[in-house]
Amino acid sequence: MSETRTIRFTLNGRPASAAIQSHHNLVELLHQLGLFGARESCGQGLCGCCTVLVDDVAVSGCLYLALGVNGKSVTTIEHLDESGTLSPVQQAFIEAGAFQCGFCTPGFVLMTHQLLKQNPDPSEDEIRHYLAGNLCRCAAYPEIVEAVRLAARTMKQARA
Amino acid sequence: MIPFDWVEPASLKEAVSLLDADDSTVRPISGGTALMLMMKPGFFVPSRLVSLAKIEADYSSIRAGGDGSLRVGAMTSLAELERSAAAIVNFPVMKGALQTLSNIRVRNVARVGGALAHGDPHMDLPPLFATLGARVSVVGPDGTRDIAVEDLYLGYYQTVLKNNELIAEAIVPPLNGARAAYKKITSRSADDWPALNMGVRLEMADANTIKAARVVLGAASERVTRLAQTESLLTGAIVNDGLLKRVSESAAAEARFVSDAHGSAAYKRELLRVYLPRTIKEALS
Ligand SMILES: Cc1cc2nc3c(=O)[nH]c(=O)nc-3n(C[C@H](O)[C@H](O)[C@H](O)COP(=O)(O)OP(=O)(O)OC[C@H]3O[C@@H](n4cnc5c(N)ncnc54)[C@H](O)[C@@H]3O)c2cc1C
Ligand code: FES
Ligand code: FES
Repeated sequence: MSETRTIRFTLNGRPASAAIQSHHNLVELLHQLGLFGARESCGQGLCGCCTVLVDDVAVSGCLYLALGVNGKSVTTIEHLDESGTLSPVQQAFIEAGAFQCGFCTPGFVLMTHQLLKQNPDPSEDEIRHYLAGNLCRCAAYPEIVEAVRLAARTMKQARA
Repeated sequence: MIPFDWVEPASLKEAVSLLDADDSTVRPISGGTALMLMMKPGFFVPSRLVSLAKIEADYSSIRAGGDGSLRVGAMTSLAELERSAAAIVNFPVMKGALQTLSNIRVRNVARVGGALAHGDPHMDLPPLFATLGARVSVVGPDGTRDIAVEDLYLGYYQTVLKNNELIAEAIVPPLNGARAAYKKITSRSADDWPALNMGVRLEMADANTIKAARVVLGAASERVTRLAQTESLLTGAIVNDGLLKRVSESAAAEARFVSDAHGSAAYKRELLRVYLPRTIKEALS
């Protein structure tokens, strides 16, 4: 029962496989593969530091069994600047000064990507509601909301 | 967490056969959000998890009936239900209730079957569905049976489901003009676990006279409960301030409250007294 299992999936656009234990979660899987952008903090689905996209849906990696991504596509924060340039959301977080220690930032950035994909022009209320499951211990919330609006504006201009 | 056996059956029938009526360490897993919360601190140590992921395609549709009813597959995510036009058009009460159910990542992953089967009395979907008079279709080794959501719960994390029974689908009957409202009262953030949640469904004889009522309470008590005495006070009554006062006193006396981290029993009683008239007014507004 404790034997390892091999899972195959797509990781940031490339085929990947890993030998895992049944009880490992998605954050542990990513750490095993050298990706440390998703971190486990609360471990209870509350804070969003462990945000990962599975088949393009945001999940809390701390509550997601690694076995569950077999055959699926996993996208992490590391994917966003693989082209060599920061994504508009990442750029906006820097410009708005939307972090202090940065521990929560990967989660906020990925969630913002998802939000703006579904709703390119969110109201402040919609932004706060969507990000309600992400916690920032440095309390950079006003700047984070500003970063989301800035990213929405930049992305709108890029489309125009 | 310690290792366990993991199986991914390709049909619901096969999933049932991999469960064990006499062994509660063998569990089905749908979204896994609730199970992971229990497995990480060791409250639940599975010997085997039966993943329902491979049967998702067959049990994740949301279908609106021509009569205004709704059938929701057990593997539908809570986020899909929240976004479903069919659900929202027929049951406007669902949208608001789902939007404050935890956060979007949990709703993305949690499934309707898991939300109904878990049996934590603080959860929102059981009282919401019980208020609407929903039923679940349950598959076991001997076939399918039908259970009203209000009859699913026996106590804290205890349901009438056998270890080898699976929820396949939830069926919500049409509102047929009935008015429904659902309120979740949290003592910390808006999307926190509730101190009290409550639903009412009112069939009206005319603008002010109630023909039939359902009043369902969750979170405050050990399990989702219908408040039968309060319902009978409402039945046939004309809505006015006097009635709302009597009803809120009746409900506060009838319900059994449990103290927990979200509020003391006395506080929850007070919440019910205040919020029941508000919920009724919201349903009728
Ligand atoms: C941070 C956080 C906050 C939350 N806040 C709220 C909240 O405010 N309101 C609320 O309502 N909920 C809340 N929840 C709970 C959440 O709704 C549940 O975790 C979720 O609905 C469970 O669904 P799941 O698919 O993940 O279940 P799983 O974890 O897969 O399973 C839960 C239980 O149901 C059983 N099961 C699963 N599928 C079936 C099936 N088809 N048939 C029979 N049994 C089955 C499993 O064996 C297990 O016992 C919160 C959860 C988290 C992590
Ligand atoms: S570590 Fe996963 S949500 Fe906090
Ligand atoms: S920047 Fe420090 S936790 Fe958010």
